[in-house]
Amino acid sequence: MPPPVTAAAVARAPRSVALRATLAGVAVSVLLVLAIVFGSRLLKDFDSALLPYAVATVFLAFGVAYRYTVWISSPGARRLFKQGWRSLFSVANFRKAPTALPKMIATYLGFQKFLGARSHARWAAHQLIFWGCILAAAITFPLTWGWFTFTSGSGSGPGYEMRIWGFKILGFDALSVVGWLMFHGLDIAAVLVIPGASYFLWRRMKDRGAITGQRFGYDLVPLIALIVISVTGLLLTFSSIFLHGGGYEFLAILHMVSVVFTLIYIPFGKFFHIVQRPAAVGMQLFKYTTRQDEQVFPCKRCGEPIDTAPYVENLRGTMRDLKLDFDAWAQYCPRCKRVLRGTAYLSHVKKGFK
Amino acid sequence: MSSPIPLDPSIAPPGTRNFRDAGGIPADQWHADQNGETLVPTHCCFCGVQCGMYLRVDRAGKVFGVEPRNHDINRMRLCPKGINAYQQINHPDRLTAPLMRRSRDEPFREASWEEALDFTVAEIRRIQGAYGNDAFGLLGGASLFSEKTYLVGKFGRVALKTRHVDYNGRLCMVSAAGANKLAFGIDRAGNPFSDILLTDCLLIAGSNVGECFPVMTQYLWGARDRGASLIVIDPRETAIARTADIHVALRPGTDAAFFNAVLHVVIEENLVDKEFVAEHTTGWDEVRAAVADCTPETAADICGIPASQVVQVARAFAGAKRAMAWHARGIEHHSQGVENCLTVINLCTATGHLGKPGAGYGTITGQGNGQGGREHGQKSDLLPGGRSISNPEHRRQICEIWGIEESELPPAGTSMMEMVWQMQRQEIRGLIGICNNPFVSLPNYATVKNGYDTLEFHAQFDFFLSETAANAHVVFPVTTWAEDEGVMANAEARVVKHNKAQEPPPGVRTDTWVMCQLAGRLGVGDKFDYPGSREVFEELRIASAGTVNDYYGITYERLEETGGIAWPCPSTDHPGTPRLFEGGKTSHPDGKIHMQVVEWHPPMDPYDEEHPMSLTTGRTVAHFLSGNQTRRLGALVEQTPRPWVEVHPSHGFRNGDPVRVVTRRGSEVFPALVTEAIRPDTVFIPYHWPVPTAANALTIDALDPRSKIPEYKVCACRIEAAERIDEVPAPPTAPGQVAYPATQVSRTDPLPPTSPQGRGTAERS
Amino acid sequence: MMGRTIFIDPGRCIGCQACVSACRECDSHRGKSMIHLDYPDEGHSVASLPTVCMHCEDPVAPCAEVCPADAILVTADGVVQQADTTRCIGCANCVNACPFGVPKIDLQAKLQMKCNLCYDRTAYGLAPMCATVCPTGALFYGTVEELRAERPGVQVADSFTFGDVVVSTGVAMVVPADKVQWPVPGGLPIVEVNGKAVNQVNSGTAGGGRQADGKDVTR
Repeated sequence: MPPPVTAAAVARAPRSVALRATLAGVAVSVLLVLAIVFGSRLLKDFDSALLPYAVATVFLAFGVAYRYTVWISSPGARRLFKQGWRSLFSVANFRKAPTALPKMIATYLGFQKFLGARSHARWAAHQLIFWGCILAAAITFPLTWGWFTFTSGSGSGPGYEMRIWGFKILGFDALSVVGWLMFHGLDIAAVLVIPGASYFLWRRMKDRGAITGQRFGYDLVPLIALIVISVTGLLLTFSSIFLHGGGYEFLAILHMVSVVFTLIYIPFGKFFHIVQRPAAVGMQLFKYTTRQDEQVFPCKRCGEPIDTAPYVENLRGTMRDLKLDFDAWAQYCPRCKRVLRGTAYLSHVKKGFK
Repeated sequence: MSSPIPLDPSIAPPGTRNFRDAGGIPADQWHADQNGETLVPTHCCFCGVQCGMYLRVDRAGKVFGVEPRNHDINRMRLCPKGINAYQQINHPDRLTAPLMRRSRDEPFREASWEEALDFTVAEIRRIQGAYGNDAFGLLGGASLFSEKTYLVGKFGRVALKTRHVDYNGRLCMVSAAGANKLAFGIDRAGNPFSDILLTDCLLIAGSNVGECFPVMTQYLWGARDRGASLIVIDPRETAIARTADIHVALRPGTDAAFFNAVLHVVIEENLVDKEFVAEHTTGWDEVRAAVADCTPETAADICGIPASQVVQVARAFAGAKRAMAWHARGIEHHSQGVENCLTVINLCTATGHLGKPGAGYGTITGQGNGQGGREHGQKSDLLPGGRSISNPEHRRQICEIWGIEESELPPAGTSMMEMVWQMQRQEIRGLIGICNNPFVSLPNYATVKNGYDTLEFHAQFDFFLSETAANAHVVFPVTTWAEDEGVMANAEARVVKHNKAQEPPPGVRTDTWVMCQLAGRLGVGDKFDYPGSREVFEELRIASAGTVNDYYGITYERLEETGGIAWPCPSTDHPGTPRLFEGGKTSHPDGKIHMQVVEWHPPMDPYDEEHPMSLTTGRTVAHFLSGNQTRRLGALVEQTPRPWVEVHPSHGFRNGDPVRVVTRRGSEVFPALVTEAIRPDTVFIPYHWPVPTAANALTIDALDPRSKIPEYKVCACRIEAAERIDEVPAPPTAPGQVAYPATQVSRTDPLPPTSPQGRGTAERS
Repeated sequence: MMGRTIFIDPGRCIGCQACVSACRECDSHRGKSMIHLDYPDEGHSVASLPTVCMHCEDPVAPCAEVCPADAILVTADGVVQQADTTRCIGCANCVNACPFGVPKIDLQAKLQMKCNLCYDRTAYGLAPMCATVCPTGALFYGTVEELRAERPGVQVADSFTFGDVVVSTGVAMVVPADKVQWPVPGGLPIVEVNGKAVNQVNSGTAGGGRQADGKDVTR
């Protein structure tokens, strides 16, 4: 097995970046705490049993904000980040293609069409995990923050009403289909996630390409965490329905530990792509906007299109930021770079065998 | 530019985004979850180098990949053909049921084995009954295992009882074979590849080693790493010629004039190894007298090269401590192919460079079993063990082994091209072809097509439907090399064993089984009772015992233990004979080298005002012979989708221009590959494709009078601008099928490759 | 230069593309070839140039540096990996920043792919597929000592000039003995485009021929 892999490009963040990132992290955490306090009507709706989860989300918020700040401080990301927002806030661009952004979000972030091009099976498994996690997050985060409440006038149903920030959103019968879905949302999420994550885990045991170079902490822990969360969650339901609560205490703690661990892990491991990936839409939007203006940049030697002109300019800026002073080279397509290097070798190093 | 921008706005420069170049298995359907695979050691099915390789077999017993093998022939190395070879085995284009039709006007239909075999035997009986046994012909191939080539010869003589047996090595090795027999009395390369590493001067005549025998290049480079100089004789600046110390870019068809002049200089400059010549040769005085007039200036005139190069080559070769010459089809595919080879032999002999480590002479066989395929009796004039069919003693020996009366053994037949002419004249009315594709590989396609169309009955054995098989009445689906076991002899005459890696697909039989079934129906089943290759090999060992080509000491077990044994190997404790002519001793009864006088004559197709240029043909690295195999492998089609015509820039064409090449046989339009790496008076077309893009629709069916090899390497032509290029047709397939589309995507690309070796990875659309 | 690495010698290359087909056989990217094979002397000679990832060491992996998604990782022993599938957004920054023209991009899959020195094989003690099968040793995998054992006295160079910038790499080129102290010219500055001289910094007046003034390129 190869030795562990380190991210080379992310050199130690300079102090100013670390400071900025810490500030961002603190700010976001404070904001989240405030949102919890006010969202739960000054903790009136806050469920103290869920406190560990809420604390974990605050840590999560800090970690994500910190890491995100460090991330977009690097030249490559910062420049594309800016270009993405610039394209987003361009009125002219919006007028030209008002539906572009929602469509991109749907295809890239929602249905993840690009994953299908990699492998259909992996696409399907990822979709299961993705929608399962979205569903679970949409239910649990507001619940732990005390934003959602389910109350029954009679105290024990079957008529329930759901409130957000104290405002009634809908009332339903716990015995109806809607009611069943509302109460078993997390079970459904688990049922989606388990096969998806299991497929990936199975693949990581079997596929030679995946096995080589995979790292336990980076590649396997997230999958195991997802499966543990989902299985323990399902077992909680199983316990309350069939075992009259047998083993509930233990399962609840195991479930909580795995969830808390996973939340805190998000900024540091593989799950950070959840936060990063939306930036891809910004990049696409940038390229889309500039292509609409027909600003295609041709290779200076062969004339084949390289990319849009603002993109090439943006890349050259990134290279200059990084002191990669061969940025003029970016005006040539990869083939011409190789051919020119080959020609230089033939004429200046050796033409033949010796 | 008003077309709407797609939602995915990405563009990427050429060469960075092409992922279509998958092989036989579509990339997105591939799962690398092959734990529990088996590696079956075997060799490549293609050229005469016979590189070792492992076939990767999955748990279901199917071959799914290849892994390099550290066999001492190739030391892990493989060429693109070898790497992709495994994809033939479970290829969708495979024939899996016999195809049959009563007349060529009907479409093929699938038939049962019983029906196809019975029909074939009925036709054999009908034709032979009405027109005599010799009215039915048999053509074999040199990509078959030696066991099967032995069986082809025996089947022709014992079951069909016809004199008309020949094989496609007639288009390949016969000139070298003829010259070797004349000079040495033995027909094989004198030295093993490993001797190349020891030489000080290596001369390669008429061989594009880099493309046709890519893995052999490591020996050339290895010799140069140790200080050897490299001389290449080739009208084109090939990959090995590009960096050679001396590249003699002579006019096609002038090799004998060149080598005679080299010998002339060797004599003039007193570089002859007089002791060696006096002791070990006959005919030296005649040869010496014959080259007395062959001055470098005369040669320079004939060959279109500077006279100084002749002197340079003579000094380098004769002056080297150890020098070695290897040649291939470039000097053999001529109406004086045998003589061209003899001039090289004369040079090696006169300079004493023979039979020593690092000094000697070799001929590079083109087909996988080009060496073994010519040894055991599928050649029209030979019997097993390299015996002559005209020698009464040899006839008697073989009749005894085969258990037939000497009177039953037919006399010598005719060569492959002559058989086609006989088909035209209806002297041959029925034919079985095994492992060959003359519609692409024989010269002068119009004649070949006419000959085959005149046949009343024609059956072909193949695992893909070749262009020739598509014109037949019966096609028998047979195994690939990986579905049966057997031996082949490579260019060094080293016998290597191919192992069976998987069961053939349902409906497919071995060539051995089909020949035995036909023989049984022809009433000689008792002489064709072979359960498999092993039993045939046992008979072959006995049949070759005591002959020049002695295989008696070679057994399957020894081959598996050793990785190959060079014949002659007379006993099971004999180590084999990698190097011949040690101490200057040949296989002639007098033990001497019989030097032969050669006088150069111009090629058979005369130049005139209408046809002032030379057309020469050859191979490209991604394809093999008639292309029936390689034109179906996606990666190879991707590398080189189509033929081209290579022209010098002085003719004013630009790359990709449609250029019509006209010869006296016909004309075809190819895209121009404009390059300085070819003589201005010569054009080159690779020959792996069928009409209307077939080089062999243009070549001349003139033969060497001795070896009967066609003159592929030179004919007179002219080139002219044309409107549009001729398109490459899809490879033929069984009825109801199309050639596996994933492999054919780039076939219709109209552009020539970037370089003769193929399209650069960034030049693929 | 890494201890065990690939040595490239275009002078030995016969352009057969065995490496291109062999790369496709690697289990981790089966069917997709990462290696580039170019014929840089098109129209003049059959010279050819195989290009694998050079695994830049200084500056370390420009492709990774320009990556906005931190998707390209470098192992402790200097192997620049292909993009991490979960992170790569398919922006093509690496494709166009790489001074050697190495990375490829699957636009549909939004995924960069490139030579990773066959970590799926080296992990099992096998040499990279391309260098294993290369019929000529134009691609050689091993240590420089192993290379010298096969080719006595051979010299290698592991730095390239691009204008004023020198890039040193993990993969090395074979060079003649008298040029071993040179960095290998990387092709920048451009002295000619399609046979016509272009005016670039440092290019001087190359005069439009195919031969450029060597000093500008190599110093």
